[in-house]
Amino acid sequence: MKNTPSVEEQKEILRRMVLTRRLEEMLGDLAKQAKTRGPLHRCDGQEAVGVAACAVLNDDDYVCTSHRGHHVYIGKGMDPRRIVAEIMGRETGYCRGRGGHMLLGDIATGMLGGNAIVGAGIPAATGMALSFQVLKQDRVAMAVFGDGAAQTGICHESMNMAGLWKLPVIFLLENNQYGLTVRQEVQSPVKDLHIRAEGYGMPGVMVDGNDAVAVYRAAAEAAERARRGYGPTLIEAKTYRMEGFSTSDVGGYQPEEEIAQWRERDPIRIAAAALDELIGADEVARIEAAANIEMGAAFEQALADPLPVFETHAPSSAYSEISR
Amino acid sequence: MATPVKVGVAGGEYMESVVVLEWTVKTGDAISAGQHLVTVETAKAATEIEAPCEGFLTAIFAEPGTEVSLTETLGLIGADTADTAYEGDEPATDHAPVADEASLQATTSEAVSAAESLSPPTPGGRTVASPAARRAAAMAGIDISRITPTSPTGRMKLRDLASATIMRAEIPLVPAGGLSANEAGPLKVYLSGTKTGIPVLMLHGFGADAMSWFPIERALARAHPIVRMDLPNHGKSPRRRMTRFADLAREIVDAFDALHLDEVHVLGHSLGGACALALADIRPRKVASLALLAPGGLGPVINGEFAAGLARASRPESLEQWLKLSVADTRLISPEFVGAAMSSRVDPALRAAQAQMANDLFPDGTQGFDLRPALQRVECPMRVIWGKADAVIPWQQALSAPGRAGLHLFEATGHVPQMERPEDVVAILEALFAASGGKQ
Amino acid sequence: MTMMRYAEALNSALREEMQRDPTVFMFGEDIGRYGGVFKVSKGLMEEFGENRVRDTPISEQALTAMAVTAAMSGTRPVLEIMYADFMPLTLDALVNQASVFGYLWEGQVEIPFVLRTQGGGGVGTGAQHAKSLDSFVAHVPGIKVVAPVTPADAKGLLKAAIRDPQPVVFLEHKLLYNMRGEVPDGDDVLVTIGKAKVVKEGTDVSIFATSKMVLEAEQAARELAKDGISAEVIDLRTLRPLDIGAIMASIAKTHHAVVVNEGWTFCGFAAELSASIMDHCFDDLDAPVERVAMPDMAIPYSEPLETAMLPNAAKIAAAARKALA
Repeated sequence: MKNTPSVEEQKEILRRMVLTRRLEEMLGDLAKQAKTRGPLHRCDGQEAVGVAACAVLNDDDYVCTSHRGHHVYIGKGMDPRRIVAEIMGRETGYCRGRGGHMLLGDIATGMLGGNAIVGAGIPAATGMALSFQVLKQDRVAMAVFGDGAAQTGICHESMNMAGLWKLPVIFLLENNQYGLTVRQEVQSPVKDLHIRAEGYGMPGVMVDGNDAVAVYRAAAEAAERARRGYGPTLIEAKTYRMEGFSTSDVGGYQPEEEIAQWRERDPIRIAAAALDELIGADEVARIEAAANIEMGAAFEQALADPLPVFETHAPSSAYSEISR
Repeated sequence: MATPVKVGVAGGEYMESVVVLEWTVKTGDAISAGQHLVTVETAKAATEIEAPCEGFLTAIFAEPGTEVSLTETLGLIGADTADTAYEGDEPATDHAPVADEASLQATTSEAVSAAESLSPPTPGGRTVASPAARRAAAMAGIDISRITPTSPTGRMKLRDLASATIMRAEIPLVPAGGLSANEAGPLKVYLSGTKTGIPVLMLHGFGADAMSWFPIERALARAHPIVRMDLPNHGKSPRRRMTRFADLAREIVDAFDALHLDEVHVLGHSLGGACALALADIRPRKVASLALLAPGGLGPVINGEFAAGLARASRPESLEQWLKLSVADTRLISPEFVGAAMSSRVDPALRAAQAQMANDLFPDGTQGFDLRPALQRVECPMRVIWGKADAVIPWQQALSAPGRAGLHLFEATGHVPQMERPEDVVAILEALFAASGGKQ
Repeated sequence: MTMMRYAEALNSALREEMQRDPTVFMFGEDIGRYGGVFKVSKGLMEEFGENRVRDTPISEQALTAMAVTAAMSGTRPVLEIMYADFMPLTLDALVNQASVFGYLWEGQVEIPFVLRTQGGGGVGTGAQHAKSLDSFVAHVPGIKVVAPVTPADAKGLLKAAIRDPQPVVFLEHKLLYNMRGEVPDGDDVLVTIGKAKVVKEGTDVSIFATSKMVLEAEQAARELAKDGISAEVIDLRTLRPLDIGAIMASIAKTHHAVVVNEGWTFCGFAAELSASIMDHCFDDLDAPVERVAMPDMAIPYSEPLETAMLPNAAKIAAAARKALA
């Protein structure tokens, strides 16, 4: 049973968090040069949630995330080069350029997938867990969703059924305090959303979402419960969105002092500090440098990759070919 | 009683109105039947309106520059210079053309004028017809404005083509005037398509007419000027005896020369294919490319009964059998199609002239001319297109083409590839035209 | 051949497919212990247990979304939505999930689930329980939509739908459940999705319909025959992907088309049929396509009011006569 991450696991979590941060920063730079397409939803500051939670999952466990899921993509072990290729609309991307940065999916690593309908990842993971239960498989599904998604009706329906049927699912509520521009206290009558778990007959726990080790512990316990047939868990990870809603967002609604406060608690610094004590600062710096180089190379390769060619999709056709 | 001058069928199949360009005669002039009176502009080309009868031009209602509907009266031809009384603009009233009973023209009009007298009012000058009826009429070269709709909606339907007028029409077996003197005058030429580019000259097959290019003419007309000719003894061209193929070839070359075209793409089907090949041989520098659809002249074998039977057929029942022989998919030859085709063959003089022509050109059921040497001489880009189910001329005759010619052989296709494979044929022709841009 | 009711045919299809394939499971409201409001799943929970036949809370939105991802994860779910009127609650899962990921993640996942529902009016169920919302789902790329009328086609298409790698919306009609008919045994019953059936051959006018409207079209054809009009009745069976080849072949023969659908007229499935016919058969048409569908208003309750709303044989026959006039 997993409980506390091993040193090797902590090193890998840090590496993936740095990869994620570098991905976001490089995308931000390209967006400023108008070299990206459509809005990008950066997860700077939330890396610990997606990366550390995915670290407790097996390859054949599934995770569903939201429109802001780059940390989950990297956390579940997807290839940075193919992630960047998809975001840059290349043929070599995970969806051959059909998806874009919000809708990546990869069956091989069990990341299924990004979802840009707020709340849709919650029944998605629940449905996967239902399938695992019907097939009596030792597998777990996890939904990573935000405080905005927690207010949808479909969240209630899903958690109710998951609790009712004791489905092997983890509800990881990544509370970054904002649903687009609206603060959580304007969207919900309660400050702490994990208390809702009681109404669905499942445990609800709260963790510091900027502390990778804390996220890992909570997720590991939830996964263990799910595998033992005890059903779902709701984890509320408090964290913060440091770079606004999206690259098309003019900002101004997140107070400067609030942002500054959370920057002081940057999850990468917290994870690095924890590792400093175990392996020394030089080794930590070496991990971070290697991750930055790896992401730089991923961009270089992906940007050289070919763009896809349009073709119609026969299974979507309105007409059958049978009698023609 | 004066006879109105109208645009009628000359306006074209999808036109509602035309613009008058100029009158070539003036009020008071003596007019002979068939004389060119006025030129009008349609969407496709300028069209000459001919006098429906002889007499004197007694009125001009449509001055140059005015837009008129197809049924509007442009002017009047009176029995004398003062005759301006006419029966209004109501097509329902009887105003059958004043015809000279002795002339061939008159005998042709009997069935048609009976139909004309039934014509309903056409609001705004547009004949309302269903898409299916419009297509069938166009394929057979029928003027739909002559058909009486039986539907209470006033819309002409397929059944109107097949039954009410055409099928019941009494079709004389022999021309009243017999096969008399050879007619004079040029071959009938139709212009359509774009104003610029190398024109495409289309020469139809035996027993057909220029209208028979319908399946591919509209597609080609989008990007090319189109010149269609009625062969002698076909469509609206004069009837005159031609005892051998060389006479026919000479007629085609003369008509071509009269067009004063620098360069053309030539497209010919069946007998028209033989004519096209002859033209390419005689005027090599004028022909940018040559496309032959199941052409004649490349071997002795021909289904002689087909040509003779087609020419003779005086009733829809007999015509249908010969038409069915020309295609692989006989479902194309619907009763409506047959009725429409028959309506363009009601003229006994035309049938008699064609029967004579079949006998002259295909004696004893054999192609009495050999163009294989001419085919070897052609140097312009060339395509030969044939259906492998051709029951009229065997497709194997295509194999006499020189190596530089492109061969296109279609399975399950009969003697009229442009009707059974119109999209394929258009694609082949467009590729040919694109590859042979002509003199720079 | 076995004589059975439409509901029994569906039941036997479900039973056979669940016996054949352990990854098939069913869920929906009242389908387990009670056997379904229309008794389609009668006896199945007893046979297959509560793991594979689940009574659910009233949560159409999440249920449909769960069917999509359960199908991606190794099972073949069959979800029952009690009334077609509740289909709007399922639409995000169909429009924004199943349709999208079937294309975006092509080659990585298949989404083999069946959404069964029933619609249609005629028995006083009122404005929220009598609609036919065929066009809502037939509009969505990547979703197949079938609507059988006979017990044999019901069984054959349901078995085919369960085996299909794509999402299939299976539209039933509440007035068909008690209809009886001969049903082939074994796999002979399978019906190819996307293939129409000529129910009655004719030469004058083609009538295209699905589900219960096929019965009305057949009745209309009998009435027209009394006047010497030969109507061809085509049961499309599948709304999407549409068997346009069968439509073209029939219209090439008759040159007249009447399209029938029990749903609303404007933007309805009949409107799509009409436009598809114009796209593919324009030059074969000898008259405008006649559309027979429901007036564009909510369905009233009282019998004379509801009856006036519904398309029926008389309206279809009148449309055919109008086309042929």
